[in-house]
Amino acid sequence: MTSIGANIPRKEAPNKVTGRARYTRDLYRPGTLYALIVPAHIAHARLLAVDTREARALAGVKAVLTGADAPFLTGDVIEDHPPLARDKVRYWGEPVALVVARDMATAQQAAALVHCTYDPLPVVNSIEDALRADAPLVHEAVGSYTIATPPASPRPHSNIADEANVTKGDSDGALKASDVIVQVHVSLPQIDHAAMEPRVATAEILADGRVLIETSSQAPFEVQKLVAQYFQLDPGQVTVSVPLVGGAFGGKASVQLEVLAYLASHAVGGRVVTLANPREVDMESSPVGLGLEADVTLGATQEGRLTAAILRFYLDVGAYADSAPRIARAIAAQCTGPYRIDHVHADVYAVYTNHTYTTAFRGFGHMPMTFAIERAMDELAQRLSIDPLDLRQRNALRPGDRTPTKARLTPSNLGSLSETIERLKPLIGWNGGEPYPVAPHRIRAQGVAAFWKTSSSPPNATSGAIVTMNADGSVNLSIGAVEFGSGAKTTAAQILAEALRIPVSRVFIHEAVNTDTDPEHWKTVASLSTYMVGRAVLDAAQDVVRQLKSLAAVVLRCAPEDLDYGNETVFVRDDPSIKLTYADLALGYQYPEGDSIGGQIIGRGRFMIRHLNLLDQETGHGRPGPAWTVGVQAVEIEYDDLTHQYRLLKAATVLDAGHVINPAIAHGQVRGGMAMGLGIASREAVRYGPQGEFLTNQFRSYKVLRLGEQPDAYLVEFVTNPQVDAPFGARPLGEHGVLAIGAALANALSRATNMSINQLPITPELIWQQRRNAP
Amino acid sequence: MKTLTGPTHIQLTINGEPRDVFIEPHYTLLDLLRHPLVGLTGAKPGCENGDCGACTVLLNQKPVKSCMMFAVDAEGKTVLTVEGLVDTPVQRAFLKHFAFQCGYCTSGFLLVAHALLHEIPHPDRHQITEWLRSNICRCTSYEEILAAVHEASES
Amino acid sequence: MIPWPVHYYRPDQWADALDLYQQLTRAGRSPRYYLGGTEIITMARTDSQPVSDLIDLKGIPEIMAHGQDGDWLYWGAGLSLARVAELDAWPVLTATADRVADHTSREQITLGGNCLSIMPYKEALVPFMLPDRVMIEVATSQGLMTVPLHDRFDGSWHLAPGEFLLSLRVLKEEARSLVFRSYKMTRLDWVDYPLVTVVVVRDPDGQIRAGFSGWGPHPLVSSQVNALLSDRSATPAARAAAAIAAMPTPALDDLHASRAYRTFVTQHTLALIIRELEE
Repeated sequence: MTSIGANIPRKEAPNKVTGRARYTRDLYRPGTLYALIVPAHIAHARLLAVDTREARALAGVKAVLTGADAPFLTGDVIEDHPPLARDKVRYWGEPVALVVARDMATAQQAAALVHCTYDPLPVVNSIEDALRADAPLVHEAVGSYTIATPPASPRPHSNIADEANVTKGDSDGALKASDVIVQVHVSLPQIDHAAMEPRVATAEILADGRVLIETSSQAPFEVQKLVAQYFQLDPGQVTVSVPLVGGAFGGKASVQLEVLAYLASHAVGGRVVTLANPREVDMESSPVGLGLEADVTLGATQEGRLTAAILRFYLDVGAYADSAPRIARAIAAQCTGPYRIDHVHADVYAVYTNHTYTTAFRGFGHMPMTFAIERAMDELAQRLSIDPLDLRQRNALRPGDRTPTKARLTPSNLGSLSETIERLKPLIGWNGGEPYPVAPHRIRAQGVAAFWKTSSSPPNATSGAIVTMNADGSVNLSIGAVEFGSGAKTTAAQILAEALRIPVSRVFIHEAVNTDTDPEHWKTVASLSTYMVGRAVLDAAQDVVRQLKSLAAVVLRCAPEDLDYGNETVFVRDDPSIKLTYADLALGYQYPEGDSIGGQIIGRGRFMIRHLNLLDQETGHGRPGPAWTVGVQAVEIEYDDLTHQYRLLKAATVLDAGHVINPAIAHGQVRGGMAMGLGIASREAVRYGPQGEFLTNQFRSYKVLRLGEQPDAYLVEFVTNPQVDAPFGARPLGEHGVLAIGAALANALSRATNMSINQLPITPELIWQQRRNAP
Repeated sequence: MKTLTGPTHIQLTINGEPRDVFIEPHYTLLDLLRHPLVGLTGAKPGCENGDCGACTVLLNQKPVKSCMMFAVDAEGKTVLTVEGLVDTPVQRAFLKHFAFQCGYCTSGFLLVAHALLHEIPHPDRHQITEWLRSNICRCTSYEEILAAVHEASES
Repeated sequence: MIPWPVHYYRPDQWADALDLYQQLTRAGRSPRYYLGGTEIITMARTDSQPVSDLIDLKGIPEIMAHGQDGDWLYWGAGLSLARVAELDAWPVLTATADRVADHTSREQITLGGNCLSIMPYKEALVPFMLPDRVMIEVATSQGLMTVPLHDRFDGSWHLAPGEFLLSLRVLKEEARSLVFRSYKMTRLDWVDYPLVTVVVVRDPDGQIRAGFSGWGPHPLVSSQVNALLSDRSATPAARAAAAIAAMPTPALDDLHASRAYRTFVTQHTLALIIRELEE
């Protein structure tokens, strides 16, 4: 009866196939008013006036808010972000006003009646624009903002929101001594999370001062904390609840609509206000994923041993910093990819532009970073005429090595990239990477790329679990992790079932999170739920077992140490016929005479990641996460050298999963990540016009992969070197399918076309253009 | 001549039940279904622009994007939403194959697949693709959805 | 949702629709005809184009009709593109209509709505631009008129305010005599606007006629281009290149493709089609 390793259906699955699954926008409260963001349709301007008179005059309009109604700055790390534009507009789509009306249609009409007067400013429309000596400044006050969560190093009088550096060894010297040097410049656009559920938040302020927020968030506890902070409330006054979330991918970890919804509710006397992003607003006004320009220089010996790396990453973080400083540090900490390089220097710059601001995106910066490194690795393999998979094998990080930030690697915290590489070969049918023709003008090629990632979580991230036992001995599990499709709730239930030795059907877990009743879980991000929540659940399970045993010991007149448990009973180890059922003990034990002892079994568990620290600002040294997940991915394509179109034939991933708790969910997560990564690499891009106009705010212009465009085969395998401190040895894997698959595609196409394809997305037009420009 | 110049009521059949519902002339079918007085929130607003398919319902057994049609156009017709699907082969297959993650797109996919199997009981892969590419799923790789529809078509 | 109050009318006869349109216009209102509604809803979401009254034409029997009328095949403007494809009365129309938008949307998008779309593409109209004899039925204040398509469409539609399209007709014999190819080329995705949709027919005399959607702001057919494409003394590639050089307008340059790439794709597709048609 083991729940671990079994394909347990998602707890909420029946609701999801019957329309009974409820998301934030499905929850109607009587009396609800509707708010709508009025987005700026200019990318950079002084905001001279916002005329709301006409909008206010419209029947049914309850309030129209502008920047003047929100005189404070928000920001996860750097407080640089007015909730509604004040004095200045910094991106196309920036909220300049918020209308509140009795219904959605009235709100939409009112939004069209808000008139802004702008004084246009020159637009910072690219990283290159931003870094020019005479560049217009996106933030004039860049050096003087409050740093809410250090570290962050904004550079005064510049567009550099932050920079992070890592130095290990003597990279310049080692590079000079290298036999061979490759240099690659990569260029990746911003991308959109495009979760199917657009962001939405509802707020209500009760007469007693309590604030009820319902939101499609990955970070309910962060919402609680920040709303309390911005509006000078006690955190306990603020209840944040999150029902099922319709996809997140990092985009719902940032706090935006909740603040606006609070402001809207406050403006209408605390009434319930729902702020639901239309898709267009969700894409252009709410945060997207960062763009990247990077220069990678790798040095190696003739035998293909990496000797030095000098790396420069410029992140297009858009108009506000949000999580960028954290992402910059995550990129710095993992900057080499999963390879041993003794001499490294990396500079990561978070660059302000007049683009939509950015936040976490599945992989937390590791996807674009990996693209840069893995393109360079393939160039190196080609230069040295080494099988690209062998090159990766030769340089794979191994236990005993140290990361760029000098964290020590162990079998537990690293797993084995080497094993994943060996497993990939038969899985994809690795042919050494040489392209080969299959018909006139048709060329097949394979490309590979490897990844690693750790959590880059704050060193004080915490998680909790509460288990209460029902009269029949079944249990209720309460955790703070949000269910947005990753199976966090189901996995936690499996872990508890295993620990209490009961079937998973005896664990009840509500699909929502409520900050009043659920214990804190930092944020449902970084693929950490299994690890953090899982450890808290195990802790709670131990507490339950201890309580069961101590109560049973009294009744059975033995020492708790004499007892064991299983099959929903607590029994004497050497005579299992002496036993009590969980049900006998669940709400306290009642003797036949009627008198009772004990009380409800309530297990309490908690977990905090140990031994993490903030990276040293000078050297960048430190330990950014509890463990890394490593893996390797491959793509096989067929390229037509007349039309420059290509077909995806196979996509493969082997990663070190440590131990797989739910194979069906794990495979689904990895395949889903691969699909997203292939979509990003082949077609996705946020695009801006010459004046910073946001051009891709619908699925007609922001294209994502549809059915029929996927590879003929997705191949996924796991190797299992346990992470000793993780529940059942399981490593994080929720984000990882996305990390290197785009690089693998670019590597395959670079080989098939015999060109270096170093930008995304790789459309046939891009290949055609590059071919045309080739000498 | 049918004329609506303000809120009015229309008759239609929703999930087998004849209904007399209030609409305003500018309502889409999605607005109507999700209205608190009807309360069928299984059809999801994903783009409200006809692009993502999360709001798909069946109108006289044909899939339509309910965000892209006026409610009044459903007058006298039968509407099937995900709430009207009860233990169908497609639902069972989606469960078996873990053919969803977040679930937000699921009702749309289910209804397209259900209509497909009604019209073409044993569709080939090309037909499945042609029908289902009307919808977007951002979580899965589509493999699971394909496998589910394939299996449902064999039952 | 159209985010403002509108009035809705569903006339049962074409004459009533015309009268209504005139009345509403005289009253200073902004009526719009509609069939499927997809475009009007989409536009209302992002534009504040004033539409005050929706006149639903689906109640008019002629607009929903289809079939054969003597030597003519006809399709009512109110048929959905899915229905048009299902009827499959004219394979080149089937092939072209079946590539518009996506399967579900084609249940809602109508033939008339697509042909009169404000978007540049109007793919379903392209097959009708190719035969010698194509007639359209138009409701006008002078009554129902059946006129040649090119009288009312020369890249832009010429319908007086209030007039509307009831049906499109082709000669059955001519329609059936045309060998065709219809290829929609997109940036990458199957479901997307066309970079170009190329519809080519070859008549029994071997003359080639090509229609293009997505090349320019309107679908186009050019007799000069057709003459070049029909010149059998040259190779398909050379004919495609000559045709491209003779296109009456340069290709669009937009989010979906640069001008140069759109030109490349069109030329390649034309050459491919000529080879296929003449093999």
